[in-house]
Amino acid sequence: MKTLAAWILYLWIALVIVGGLAWAPPLKGFVAGGESSRIVFFHVPMAWTAFVAFITAGVASAVYLRTRRPRHDRTAEAAVQLGLLFGALATLTGSIWARLEWGTYWNWDPRQGSIVLALLFYAAYLALRSAVEDHETRRRLAAGYAVLGLVVAPFLFFIAPRLASFSLHPEPVINQRGEVDMDPAILVVLLAGSLGFTALFYWLLDLQRRIAARLGREALGGAGSEA
Amino acid sequence: MSTWIAEAAAIFAKDWRSELRTRFALNTLGLFALTTLVVVSFALGPIGASPLAPAVLPAVLWIILLFAATAGLPRLFVAEEETHTATALRLTATPSALFCGKLAFGLTLIAAIELLTTPLFLILVQLRVDSPGLLVATLAIGGYGLATASTLVATMVAQARGKATLFAVLLFPVLVPLLIMAVALTRQAVAGEAAGVALTELLLYDASVTVASLMLFPAMWNP
Amino acid sequence: MNPPPTRLRFAGLHRRFGKLAVLAGVSGEAVSGQVLLVTGANGSGKSTLLRCLAGLLAPDAGEIELAEEGRPVAAGERRFRVGYLAPDLAFYEALTTLENLRFFARLRRVDPARAAALLDRVGLPHDRAAGALSSGMLQRLRWCWAVLHRPAVLLADEPFQNLDDPGCRVARELLDEQLERGLAVVANPAHLQLPRVASHVDLDR
Repeated sequence: MKTLAAWILYLWIALVIVGGLAWAPPLKGFVAGGESSRIVFFHVPMAWTAFVAFITAGVASAVYLRTRRPRHDRTAEAAVQLGLLFGALATLTGSIWARLEWGTYWNWDPRQGSIVLALLFYAAYLALRSAVEDHETRRRLAAGYAVLGLVVAPFLFFIAPRLASFSLHPEPVINQRGEVDMDPAILVVLLAGSLGFTALFYWLLDLQRRIAARLGREALGGAGSEA
Repeated sequence: MSTWIAEAAAIFAKDWRSELRTRFALNTLGLFALTTLVVVSFALGPIGASPLAPAVLPAVLWIILLFAATAGLPRLFVAEEETHTATALRLTATPSALFCGKLAFGLTLIAAIELLTTPLFLILVQLRVDSPGLLVATLAIGGYGLATASTLVATMVAQARGKATLFAVLLFPVLVPLLIMAVALTRQAVAGEAAGVALTELLLYDASVTVASLMLFPAMWNP
Repeated sequence: MNPPPTRLRFAGLHRRFGKLAVLAGVSGEAVSGQVLLVTGANGSGKSTLLRCLAGLLAPDAGEIELAEEGRPVAAGERRFRVGYLAPDLAFYEALTTLENLRFFARLRRVDPARAAALLDRVGLPHDRAAGALSSGMLQRLRWCWAVLHRPAVLLADEPFQNLDDPGCRVARELLDEQLERGLAVVANPAHLQLPRVASHVDLDR
């Protein structure tokens, strides 16, 4: 069953890549030869996935604090590690595109600010984990921090755009009239990519969590139950 | 209920009694704020009248407040852990009363820093303020958020290694939304530039962090 | 036959620090009027056990049950009910002995006058700063703090360390009073001659 799911995921992502690079038309109205805009098919899903990772870490941490089962803490830690990876890649691809399109790598666009904040949170979370020796204390404090992040982050995501005077980011998909404002082929690849990358994230999350559990058991020489 | 307040008040009183005898936090914070102010105003000069002032000075003020908080607020819990009095507190204090007592102490420290720093800052850079009322409100509401977030993060950091640097690393991402809003509102108070957010959003942040802290604190404080 | 008023029971306690399993399945029980004696070499887990019982440390596995007067005490409540005494228990150095005890009396919702009474009982001055106490005097202060709220359970880790003969006498009196009230768990590196030791947990397996 898992092998089947893995194969489906593999095909899905492969189709997304092909779709993004060959099938969908380049985004209209962009300067840098249009073809470079295809980076968006990776940038958007990865940014979306970093967002999903943030929520996952926060929710798993809340569940850990309620149940105190180490499994949920392992989920949160893996989510943060993957979130850092996807977020860094999203920032990188976005920055490259910004350079090609608008001539500048960075301009503190609110969405750039949001992803940087997410990256800061991830890094801080991992720093906290490495600063606590006792395993029980480590799990507890890290979980608390992740939940705090989840409480605080929406303020930035929702309020910051109102504060910025302008944004270089392209309009969101649904504009004020409630209509979808882009070529359907592009939309299809973007949505499929987001879905595919999210699935990829959860697959990697599961792998990462199981590895952490196995490593934990081996380090203890099999003594004590970690469930 | 009244005994809960009595507990929080007892903790607050104990902290202040200790503080007045050792003067540790007041000295450190006071010196820190003054030193930072001197450095900043020396570097910037009396640029309050220049067109750049509204863009730069509100941010500078909040950076000074943030750094002072980072220097002084971890003490709230780090001192308890380092002197090993935390054990006695864990076995006697109701967690919510402890949090509120410590928060109250942190609030007085923040208020002291703001009262010391802000007027001096305005004078040194010669910045004129359009709406003093808005400035005071922003400092009060923003200062509360600063103190609350710092109190919870101090609890976490007190049980970890590398406390001073870790405190800043953990606190800054949490405070970014507050700082952005507070700086925008300060800018509006100083130069009348529309902030895009109102004090209500700042209050909402404060309320969220307060509720989150009260719910998280028992689990952060006790195993 | 009446059930015993207070009963502390723990079973299968495990606790590791890093890879080191400090507690690997420790069990024991005591009821009112009894002393549970815990012995073991340094590093064998005596302090860890007492900290778990006090609620200062969460065990990795196992159960701890406390019932006072037949009524079970919730896990989160246990730490407020027990009396605790350990070498690393510290007080506010800038405050006097009396100020320290009165502060904790307020937190424990106990009549602050008891603070002065206990200090007199163990022979400590009221106005000496806690930071200026000798190690023996500090130990007497710890005893005052531990029994301030007349707990049903006393968890005492090396309770006689640093005490001179008069100090030991007072401590034993307080221990006797404790046993009138409830039970005591006493941890010590070496075997102690104590009254009413009903059970013995030796952590040197």
